[in-house]
Amino acid sequence: MRRGLEGRVELLVEWLFDGFETTIPRDSKVINDALLGNQYFTKAEIAVIDSPLLQRLKKIRQTGLVFQVFPSATHTRFEHCLGACTLAERCFKAILDRSSVEFPRQKPPASEDRVGGDLAHLRMAALLHDVGHGLCSHSSEQIYEVLTDLQEFKRKPAYANNAPGEILSYLIVKTKKFRKWFKEVVIQRCGAKINLNVVAQMILGKHPNRNKHFLAQILSSPYDADKLDYIARDSYYCGLALTVDLPRFYSMISTTVYKKHRLLVLRSYVPLEQILFSKMTLFGSVYHHPKVKCLDVMLRSVMRHIVENPRECGLMIRGKHIDFAEPVEYLYTTDEEFFNQSDGFGDEFVRRMLDRFRRRNLFVRCLEISRRTVTNWDEYHRKKVVDLSAPTADVHRVEKEIHGRLPASVRKKCDPDEVLLSVPGVPKIKSDNAYIQASPGAATESIEAFFPLEQWTDAYAYNKWRSFVYAPREYRKAVSNAAASILKEMFGVVVDLTKSNQACHLT
Amino acid sequence: MATTAYAQAAALLPDDVLAAVLALAKRLSGKSRLVFKGHDFELQKVFRKLVREHRSPLLDQFVFSDRGPDPYSPILSESISRLQLSGLVGRENPDYEMVFLRHAGEQYFDRELKARFTKPQMKELRRVAGRFLELVDK
Repeated sequence: MRRGLEGRVELLVEWLFDGFETTIPRDSKVINDALLGNQYFTKAEIAVIDSPLLQRLKKIRQTGLVFQVFPSATHTRFEHCLGACTLAERCFKAILDRSSVEFPRQKPPASEDRVGGDLAHLRMAALLHDVGHGLCSHSSEQIYEVLTDLQEFKRKPAYANNAPGEILSYLIVKTKKFRKWFKEVVIQRCGAKINLNVVAQMILGKHPNRNKHFLAQILSSPYDADKLDYIARDSYYCGLALTVDLPRFYSMISTTVYKKHRLLVLRSYVPLEQILFSKMTLFGSVYHHPKVKCLDVMLRSVMRHIVENPRECGLMIRGKHIDFAEPVEYLYTTDEEFFNQSDGFGDEFVRRMLDRFRRRNLFVRCLEISRRTVTNWDEYHRKKVVDLSAPTADVHRVEKEIHGRLPASVRKKCDPDEVLLSVPGVPKIKSDNAYIQASPGAATESIEAFFPLEQWTDAYAYNKWRSFVYAPREYRKAVSNAAASILKEMFGVVVDLTKSNQACHLT
Repeated sequence: MATTAYAQAAALLPDDVLAAVLALAKRLSGKSRLVFKGHDFELQKVFRKLVREHRSPLLDQFVFSDRGPDPYSPILSESISRLQLSGLVGRENPDYEMVFLRHAGEQYFDRELKARFTKPQMKELRRVAGRFLELVDK
C-alpha cells in the first residue's frame, strides 16, 4: 500500500525507536562544547538528547562531505543541535533583558520558565530542529528535495518557506510514536510541561500565538540561533577566522508589535552585516568550494545509480532495505553506516565510487563555466545554464549529452554516471522578512531599507559564481572538449577552452 | 492529477514567468528602459497582489508562505536572484533599490521564451504585466 510522506515518517520513527529502552535521567546535566563551553540541559532535555532521534545525529556530519577538503570539519549535527539550544536561550534572555530596560513597566514578552514556559518550548524546538536531517546533511537534502511528495508539501503555504530537512523534522515531531514516547517519558516521568504542537510549529518558524512570533524567529530567521551556531561552528572547524560578535548581537535584539505580530527586530544592522559577511565567506570558501561541489555531485551520482538499480544496489540497514527513492529513506542511514559498510554494497559502479570516497580519489574539474571563461557571458544564453541550478532542473540530461559526445574509445571506458555537472544557485542570504527598528517606537522597516542585501547577491553572482563539469582524471581532456561542444550546441554558451583549461589546471 | 494547463506551466520555471512579465511590462510602458523600485520586500507585495488578482497556473507557482506578517514567497526571491545571476535584470547603484531589465532580458524573451507560451498564456501575461506596471513604483 502506498503511504504518504507522513506515513513513511511514522514508520521511520517506529524503526528508530524499535528496541530502544529509555533510561530516565537522574538529573540535569552539563555538557561541555569546544565552541560554547559549558551547556546546561534539564532532565527532560537530557531524555530527548539520549533518544534515538538525537543520537543518530552523532553519525551525521554537520557539513556533509566538507571534511574531505577541510579535514577538521568532522563536527556533527548533534553538536549543532545542542549549540542551537544554548544560543536560542542566550537570544531569549537578551531580549528579556533589553525589554526590562526599554519597557520597565511592561510584563516581559515571554516566560523564562524552563519546565513549561516559553523558554522550555524554545529550547526543545532548538534541540529537535534538525532531527529531519539525513545522510551527509545538506548534500543529500539537495538530492531528495525534488522527490515528489516533498515537492507537494512545498506547494502548500504552510511549508513554502521551509527547507526539506525542516519539513521532515516537523513531521518526525508530529508522529504518533514520538508523541507517545514524549508524553510518557518527557512529560510524565521527567515532569516537563511542554506542548509538542507548539514545538513542531516553532520548527517551521511559526508560533500559534502571534504575540510570540518572535520566539519562532529566534529559531528561524535571517539572524536565528541556528545560523549563529552553524556560522561559528562551521568556520571554527574549517579553520576560518570568522567572527560574529555575539555579545554585540545580543545587545541589539529586541521585539516590537508590527501588523498584530510581536516580531524580533534588530536595533542596528551592524551585527547582521557580520552574520551575512561570514555566511557569504563560508559559501565562497567552503560550501561552494570546487572540491566540495565535486563531492556533492559524486554523491548525487551514486544515489541516482542506486535509485535506478534498486535490486542490485539497495542497502540493508538493521533489517530495512533502502534504495533512496523516497526522501525518508535518506534518514534510515547515516554517514558512518553508508560509507563504512564492511562488506560494501551495490554493483560495481557503486563499489567503485564508494572506494573513491574512502580513498579520496575524487573526480577532477574538466570545464569551468564562469565570467572568466565564457566569451559571451553578457548574452542571454547564460540564463539557460543558470536554469540548471533550479531544484527541478534535469542536469542529468546534459550530463548524458556530454557523455554521448565523447570519442567512442573514451565512451566505452567512461561510465555515463561519471560525467557530472555542478550548477550552484545563488547563496540564500535571506530566508524571510527581517526587520530593523532603530529605537523603541520608531518605524519597523525591512532590512533592505538599511542594508543592500541584493548588492551582495549581485557581487557574489558576478565575481564568485562558477559551474563545473567533473569526471575521472583519465578522461578530463576528452570531457572538457565534449562539454564545451555540448554547451555551445544546447545553450549557445561559448567557453574559451584555453581559459577554462587554465582554471581547471588542465594543461 | 495535473490539468493540462498546470502541466504546461510546470515546464516553465517561475523565473521564466517573471522574465516574461518584465519584458512585456517594458513593451507596454512604451519607454526605452524599464526601471522600477524592486527591493525584495516591495516585489513580494506586488506579486502577492498579482497572484491574488490573477488566478492562473503560471502565477500559482509563486507560493507565498503563511508565516510572518508580510508576504514572502521564497520562489519569487530565488527567481529574481537567478535572473540577476543570468544577467537578464540588473540593479542600479548606490542602494540597489532600482531594478532594470537588461537588453539580454528582452532578447531572451523574444528568442527563447515567447514561443514557449501558448496564446492564452501570452494574453494572461500581458494582463499581468499591465497590472504590474500600475503596482510598481517607477
